[in-house]
Amino acid sequence: MPDAEPASSFSPWEVLRDISLGIAIFDPDEHLLGSNAGFDALYGSMVDVIKPGISLEALLDTLATRNQINAGASASWVTAALSSLRGMIPIRHDLLSGRSYEIAPHVVPAGIALTVQDVTTLKRGDAALREARDIADRANQSKSRFLRAASHDLRQPLATLKILIYTCQGNLEELARPETLRAMDVSVSVIEDLLGALLNIGQLDGGGIVAHIDSVPISAILDRVFIQFKHQAEQKGLKLTVVSSSLVASSDRILLERVLSNFVSNAIRYTDVGRILVGCRRGRDHIQIMVADTGRGISAENQSRIFDEFYRVVDRPEPGQKGLGLGLNIAKRFAELIGATISVQSNPGRGSCFSIRVPIGEVWRAAVAETAVSEFLAGQFAGLEVLLVEDDQLLRDALSNLLQRWGILVTASIEPEEAVEAFLARGTKPDLAITDYRLPGGLRGTEVCQLLRRNFGAELPCIVVTGDTDVQPLSEITAAGLRYLIKPVSPPQLRALMHHLLYEPDLPDPI
Amino acid sequence: MAHEESTEIPIGSMVPLTGAIADDGIAFRNGAIIAIEEINASGGILGRKLHPYFVDTGPQNAASVIAAANMLIHRHKVHAIINGYNIGPQNAEYEPIADAGIIYIHQNTLLQHHDTISSDRERYFGCFMGDPADYWYGQGFIKFISWLRDTRQWTPRNERLAIISGSKPYSIVIARAIEKIAHMFGWQVVCGPRIVQTPTTSWQEALAEVRAADPAVIANTHFYAGDLAHFQMQFLENPINALIYLQYGAMHDSFVRLAGAASEGAIVGTVVGLLPDAIGQAFEERYRARFRDDSTARIAGQVHAAMHHYAIAAALAGGTAPPGGHQQNRVVAARLRSTIYRSVIGSVNYDSNQAATSYPNSTNDPSLGLPHLFFQIQGRDLRHTAIAPHPYDVAPFRIPPWFR
Repeated sequence: MPDAEPASSFSPWEVLRDISLGIAIFDPDEHLLGSNAGFDALYGSMVDVIKPGISLEALLDTLATRNQINAGASASWVTAALSSLRGMIPIRHDLLSGRSYEIAPHVVPAGIALTVQDVTTLKRGDAALREARDIADRANQSKSRFLRAASHDLRQPLATLKILIYTCQGNLEELARPETLRAMDVSVSVIEDLLGALLNIGQLDGGGIVAHIDSVPISAILDRVFIQFKHQAEQKGLKLTVVSSSLVASSDRILLERVLSNFVSNAIRYTDVGRILVGCRRGRDHIQIMVADTGRGISAENQSRIFDEFYRVVDRPEPGQKGLGLGLNIAKRFAELIGATISVQSNPGRGSCFSIRVPIGEVWRAAVAETAVSEFLAGQFAGLEVLLVEDDQLLRDALSNLLQRWGILVTASIEPEEAVEAFLARGTKPDLAITDYRLPGGLRGTEVCQLLRRNFGAELPCIVVTGDTDVQPLSEITAAGLRYLIKPVSPPQLRALMHHLLYEPDLPDPI
Repeated sequence: MAHEESTEIPIGSMVPLTGAIADDGIAFRNGAIIAIEEINASGGILGRKLHPYFVDTGPQNAASVIAAANMLIHRHKVHAIINGYNIGPQNAEYEPIADAGIIYIHQNTLLQHHDTISSDRERYFGCFMGDPADYWYGQGFIKFISWLRDTRQWTPRNERLAIISGSKPYSIVIARAIEKIAHMFGWQVVCGPRIVQTPTTSWQEALAEVRAADPAVIANTHFYAGDLAHFQMQFLENPINALIYLQYGAMHDSFVRLAGAASEGAIVGTVVGLLPDAIGQAFEERYRARFRDDSTARIAGQVHAAMHHYAIAAALAGGTAPPGGHQQNRVVAARLRSTIYRSVIGSVNYDSNQAATSYPNSTNDPSLGLPHLFFQIQGRDLRHTAIAPHPYDVAPFRIPPWFR
């Protein structure tokens, strides 16, 4: 028999003692054989009982009875924990300190080994991940809801645009064109506003949409609402009446308009005959803006729930349309954002009145639509019509651009007859004419002015522009009772001469 | 003023010392003189004193103002031109000034300044409008009468509004701005804007049209003090229960002297007026002590403000430059834009188009704009009394004496 090997100096406990992982070994009868320093450290408050020989059940019971465990009734916890560990299933428990441990059982030759590790950070990470996932899920659901709702709201101005485009394709009279274009412009700007709001809609739940409270003239909003819905109401044979108001509200213009647009849109949808009336009532410190219709009305039961998310009134069928029941909920949420309250009064079969109550604003702070002033918007020539005859395309374009920047409607042409025809076709007259002196075919600017005055009256103010500085042509122009400017035309000189001819013809020459 | 040609900084001023608005021109000249005396007494701009040169622009047409600019630039080599307003040239004077590359601060109150600047910011870097554009008068006026109505200081008998305009671009723009915004605040324009060729002292025809329209408010956007005095007197020959608003020119003491008791109750607005506070009053006292003429300190304040602002900006920029000194003058222009100056007429704060910001029309913060002031001529002494906006109001509105 070979000599026995010298006893090894290796001691497993020596090694295990220095590992931070807690380790406790129990014999097959579940009595503690020993534990390492990591285990003792994790359960520091029980070092008096963590002695060889203590049973696993007693150890767990001590853990529970010393209120180390944050898991409700201690007896039931001990039973459940023992059952899991005996079945080789890891358990987790939380301490009152807020930390979390995981105990994992392992079969070893000596019996059962339990490893214990602090999983607090891991658990918190899990919780954070779960929370983030839940938020993302909610945001995703919210975004989906609002995308659906926004697509519903976008249909309103798009429907208006379709009607207007159809009208334009028909025999639209010249006089009706500006109004139709303005209505189109408003519809496009409504879409623009909605898309702008859509960019932020995902932030609504998280408080990401911030209301910009300002003093807002109510009339500015009502005008836009009227233009937006007038054609839709007419299409349905309804009369939409908006009673203008001089009041100023303290509100967010876009959000308030969206609430009112929602009210009017619903009123048109649920009214078959009669009218829709939009108006205001002034209170001591507030304004009540109301949208009343002669529609189908809403039962008392439904009135209390109509602002709930996804709630749709089942007794109000919408032929050809499927609402999501979000419009009024969004309106309510926007109202909350702007510090307003919305309400409804209704009689089934007789109609409804939706209203929003907003604080009164300060007239001095009232925000008027234009933030940048320019001659195009409000200059002395804004809205005037000028007839321009110039054969050089570059000059014609440059002069047209300059005049248009001053808010002037320009009819430019190489041929004077063509320009005259354009005015005659429109049934309007130019306020002023500008013509080049030398035109193709030997035509002179003086002759052009004669033609124009024959068509539009002898008092038509005319300016001849010329590159000639010879005495003869200039004398000819002056002799014809016309004014001239030498090329290149200076904008200030043109402006001063135009002003003189249009507004101060009896005063001395300004140039 | 001592003339030390080698070190002094020549400053030009184009002022209507003759003609229809000579009252303004004299006040503008006086405002420049008193400001330069104050600046020089404080050491000038980095030790260099200012020397003013004035050129009369009485005819108020493009030719006279362009000639004045050329004379100041070529003969006097001015580093800056600072004055009140010249209405006629329609910005034509910007061209020789832009060519010379000097600083120009005026109070032309013209919308077209915005378009000229935005058309070529590099070229017109030195051109500043020291007051807000005429356009703002329209908004401010409508808000003012709406404020009177909404705060129940006055109950209009209807919502009807009549607008009479002078024939200058300034008057037309204001009239159109009033017309454009009136409906938003519940007003209905029932007469006008009726453009009357001005100057004129004959308003009977226009007033007959106005009376027939039965308005609760009558606005006249012409701005010559004498013409407006005649308007007010002719209105009172057969008054109706309507507020009378007179544009700017009624700020002049000469308006009150001419219209006398008929002026009581009239309302006048200005976007560039002397503030009725301690700073403004102190200026008025200094002005009265310095100039014993009939000119109006309320008008002079605007040039005083512009001159001081220029001096501060030039000092911050490290000095001024004569014609041709584009580079240095660009630095001065940059300091003008970046430095808000609280003057005797309020805070001068240049916007992106180098025009003064208007409170409360384009900012709600009184520390960031020149106040659009509304005065009512009140009491037996016919005093211009500020009634809006807060915080510059010193007394409440009174129902005019012609109301029956």
